[in-house]
Amino acid sequence: MSQQITLKTSGISKSFPGVQALQNVEIELHAGSIHALLGENGAGKSTLIKILTGVYQPDEGSVKLLGQAVSFSDTKEARRQGIAVVHQERHLIPRFSVGENLFLDRLGEKAWSWVDYPKLHEEAKPWLAAVGLDLDPQTPVKQLSVAKMQLVEIAQAISQKSRVLLMDEPTASLTPHETEKLFSLLQKLKEDGVTIVFVSHKLEEVLQICDYLTVLRDGQNTCTSQPIAQYDRQDLVQLMIGRKEQIPAWQTREVNRQSPKLELRQVSTEAGHQDLNLQLYLGEILGFYGLIGAGRSELAKSLIGYFRMTKGEYLLDGKAIHVSGVSVARDRYAIGYLSEDRKSEGLILQHDVLQNSGITVWRKICSKLGWLSDQQVTNRVSPSIDKLEVKTPSLAQMVGNLSGGNQQKISVAKWLAAQVEILIVDEPSVGIDIKTKAYLHELIRELADQGTSILLITSDMPEIITLADRIIVMDDFAIKGDLPNNRNYEEMSTGIMNLIHS
Amino acid sequence: MPLQKLLKAEWSGLLLVVTLAIILIGYLKPSFLTPFNIQILLAAISVNMVIALAQMLIVGIGQMNLSVGAIGGLVAISFAGLMDVFQLPIPLAVLVGLLIGLAAGLFNGVIIAFTGISAFIITLASLSVFKGINLGITEAQPFYGVAESVKSFGNSSFIGTLPLLILPALLALIGVWFLLNRMRFGRHVLAVGASPTAAGLVGISVRNIVIGTHALSGLLAAVAGMMVVARLQIGQPTIGDDWLILSFAAPVIGGAVLAGGHVNVIGTLLGVTTIAIITQALVLFEIDPFIVQIFLGLLILWAVGINRLRDLRLTLFSKPA
Amino acid sequence: MASAQESSLSTNSRDRSSIRNFFFSNEFGLLFLILVFATIFALLTTGFTSRFNLYALGRNISIDVVIGFSMMVVIVTGGLNLSVGSIGVSAVMFGGWLIEGMGSNLPIALILLLLGGGLLGAVNGVMVVRTGVHSFIITLATMSVYFGLMIWLTQAEAFRNLPPEVATFGRTKIYGYLSPLLLISLGVAIMLAVLYRYTSLGRNMLAAGANPTAAELSGVNVKRTFILCHALSGLLAALAATMLTCRTGAAIPSMTGHIGQDWLLPAFLAPVLGGTLLSGGKVSVLGTFFGAVLVSLLTNGLLLLQVSEFWVQAVLGALLLSAVLLEKLRNVVLLQNRFI
Repeated sequence: MSQQITLKTSGISKSFPGVQALQNVEIELHAGSIHALLGENGAGKSTLIKILTGVYQPDEGSVKLLGQAVSFSDTKEARRQGIAVVHQERHLIPRFSVGENLFLDRLGEKAWSWVDYPKLHEEAKPWLAAVGLDLDPQTPVKQLSVAKMQLVEIAQAISQKSRVLLMDEPTASLTPHETEKLFSLLQKLKEDGVTIVFVSHKLEEVLQICDYLTVLRDGQNTCTSQPIAQYDRQDLVQLMIGRKEQIPAWQTREVNRQSPKLELRQVSTEAGHQDLNLQLYLGEILGFYGLIGAGRSELAKSLIGYFRMTKGEYLLDGKAIHVSGVSVARDRYAIGYLSEDRKSEGLILQHDVLQNSGITVWRKICSKLGWLSDQQVTNRVSPSIDKLEVKTPSLAQMVGNLSGGNQQKISVAKWLAAQVEILIVDEPSVGIDIKTKAYLHELIRELADQGTSILLITSDMPEIITLADRIIVMDDFAIKGDLPNNRNYEEMSTGIMNLIHS
Repeated sequence: MPLQKLLKAEWSGLLLVVTLAIILIGYLKPSFLTPFNIQILLAAISVNMVIALAQMLIVGIGQMNLSVGAIGGLVAISFAGLMDVFQLPIPLAVLVGLLIGLAAGLFNGVIIAFTGISAFIITLASLSVFKGINLGITEAQPFYGVAESVKSFGNSSFIGTLPLLILPALLALIGVWFLLNRMRFGRHVLAVGASPTAAGLVGISVRNIVIGTHALSGLLAAVAGMMVVARLQIGQPTIGDDWLILSFAAPVIGGAVLAGGHVNVIGTLLGVTTIAIITQALVLFEIDPFIVQIFLGLLILWAVGINRLRDLRLTLFSKPA
Repeated sequence: MASAQESSLSTNSRDRSSIRNFFFSNEFGLLFLILVFATIFALLTTGFTSRFNLYALGRNISIDVVIGFSMMVVIVTGGLNLSVGSIGVSAVMFGGWLIEGMGSNLPIALILLLLGGGLLGAVNGVMVVRTGVHSFIITLATMSVYFGLMIWLTQAEAFRNLPPEVATFGRTKIYGYLSPLLLISLGVAIMLAVLYRYTSLGRNMLAAGANPTAAELSGVNVKRTFILCHALSGLLAALAATMLTCRTGAAIPSMTGHIGQDWLLPAFLAPVLGGTLLSGGKVSVLGTFFGAVLVSLLTNGLLLLQVSEFWVQAVLGALLLSAVLLEKLRNVVLLQNRFI
């Protein structure tokens, strides 16, 4: 392994109004290596990436590229200097060909230049081959799978002779097989001398392919460019969150499994599930484990009537029901769904706390003619808001101005206020701090103890082993099997992975 | 092989409809295919094509330009007024007309690009400004002193029945086709329309593209405005008032995606032709001309319905490679 | 627990902050501008404060206010309704036909024409919701269809023999300078304010407009809510056109311009000046009201200043332009000084 240093930052600080996002951050990237950048949400990873790619300029500190001090005035400049980033979402023009997407920024010298398509498509071939894509460069991008689009973006980056390739959560929407293929490509690029920065939440993957490690916590280094071989999973967690990852020593809960509260028999949905069977019992916490795109959120949305069920029986307390819409699920059957995507599906960011936490109860508490006052709503929702210890200056505060943890508490509060009997919780701890996460876990358990049936969707292994009574593994819109949870981390995680790969 | 390629084009269905309509109407009313009538039809298509292109470019970047008609009207009366009042030579009057259109388009583009305010509101406001200036100058009275050669350009023909007006339209049509399909600027226009974020990330200046596209739209509106002066033989202040619906109907019928990133020049031409044929047919069959308005609206609804169906079919039946 | 105190305090602090915020608000700015311009016109022109002018101004304001509301209630959904002018004129022509053609009596014709307007709006709403196509293109098409149907059915003939009560009502003066039309628009304003503040339906409209997916997943029937918004828009457009008919005394096919285009500017001016978010989810009934007042006031004052009515349109366009630009600037400044 060559030890030349491609890029080095020293003493990078950056603050935004009210927040010190980065303080004295150091990172040193070695040529021909894969460098893991870890940290919890809000630890400063994305700010650092944005500084390295020219989106932000640092308040203090310097960036050196191959020993030369550089400062990027914008993303264009960073790209020109050989720093490329492959984002978590795909950024391609769907109707354009693969080749044109590859060279979108180099279509011609002048605005009026002619685009030479035959030449362009010919020149695209070696770059596609370099990332292992065997396809005609004339294929429109919209015909590709997400994994192949990602490869096109990598090809785009290396075709610009990038020295540094930043990859933000590259495996988030890939299948295990696609992930393996991506990893062998990254190994190859590394051997060709490219520096890769790998940002991921999946610690197993980080340990598998990375050579060096940098960890940020609260905007500061807790680990600076160390060889990763000396660390194990628990060490990474400790560096990220400041303490060891713990499965709380909670008792295994007794659940009466005589007759299900909610049951699916041979159900197919318009979202793409076929012949699913499922039982959820009174007061049970049923965990749903799977990768992103496994069809768990879609199943949840089918249960609340957002997607249609095309076949099969849906039973509640043993009686067949038809849920025609979310309002019916909420008001007639007391089923609620807490979305994984708080910002676009869960909350109305530009509305205040009172409106957001009361949205589920307006219909219930208004008079026959539809009259409703703020006081009525306040009376109904403040017990939930208080219980969850939401930190807000007032109920009139715009939700968009609150922290992630407090936003999540409000999402939970609105369903507490609705007094649902079945609550579907989708990735509850994404983007919230450790304290709020622990608090939410206790709350979910408490709700279940009081008789609420909980369907917990999560891709966070420790979370599901902490909370669930029973774990269902889902992959590719099908249920692969279920396991009773014995709360032994090693045993359970092996069992779950076996089910996914079976 | 060429036939196969023709059938694959998304406007093939529209072409079939147009052809059948011409045959059917020609059969029922032979007067439809007389040279005189064809000339009128082609003149109408020529003018409307340029109007539709002015809007189509803006639809390409996922925006809208309500002021196309107001720009056209302002240029029309300026063009006629310069000849009438100041006796400006025609080339100079044309040049000033084009510059006014360009400036008006730049005005829209710069405000939209630099403030990020919705193009709808900006162009609604500029519509009133341009229209107000138009009326303020003319006090709603037409300019009659249009130069003779402009008048004759508007009503003469060449090679039998082809109106001269077809020349600027053809030029605009070919120019915009090459722009959007073969030139860097045009490809970037469509890229920005499809995804401003993606375009910005590879280093395309979204701001410049937006400004440039609006400037071009203003230029085309100016050309259309002067073509109408030539055709009407006077500088009417009301020129442009009825362009709004038409300018959207033709691109949408032609398969443009309103969210941006996809427009079709040939489809738009067929859209313009469809509208012109329907309008003519209503006249020939002595059907109430008021019905044209209903037809235009229904055509838009029909077109968005068809586009919607096509999208659904694509998403339902195409498997990722 | 501290948090319990915090949230019980919250209703008070809401009141306090809203008083302070009023001075930074759009509504206050508009009120200020209205007073400034009113003073200027009163000083510079002779006729501005005359009884007749104030009466005529009030009448114009009341119509502009309702036109503005008819757009505002759709902007709430993040959409728009270009067909307000077409719906308005179609509805009153329908009313005129009921009276002159069918011999219907005035109250019944009035109710039916308002419902007819609501129905046309609902048709827009159903198409928007069903196709998922943006309301811009749907209402662009229907503005042409509705207007074409109306002009074809009426053969562009006006209804001029309406019952005398219509014109009498339009000419009535309360205390010599107040038009009863002003009371109607005030009534509509109060009803809309109550709708958005004190009813479940109004809150659903705001929530669905701000974030349709989040609202749907919280159990709001977004489609039905959007259709109701469009229906309400049609109804208010019909009401505005009825008020206009009272002023002119006849139902005329061209009263809202070619395909109803003449209403577009006033319809957008009032809500946009008033601070209604075009992306949906936020309205200001008071702001829209003030916005319409400012527009009518400027028109009236400029005409009194001998500015040609043609230039007034250019001024109104420039007003819209400067309003959105100033709003942008205000947000930048407020953000920098962290007032919000």
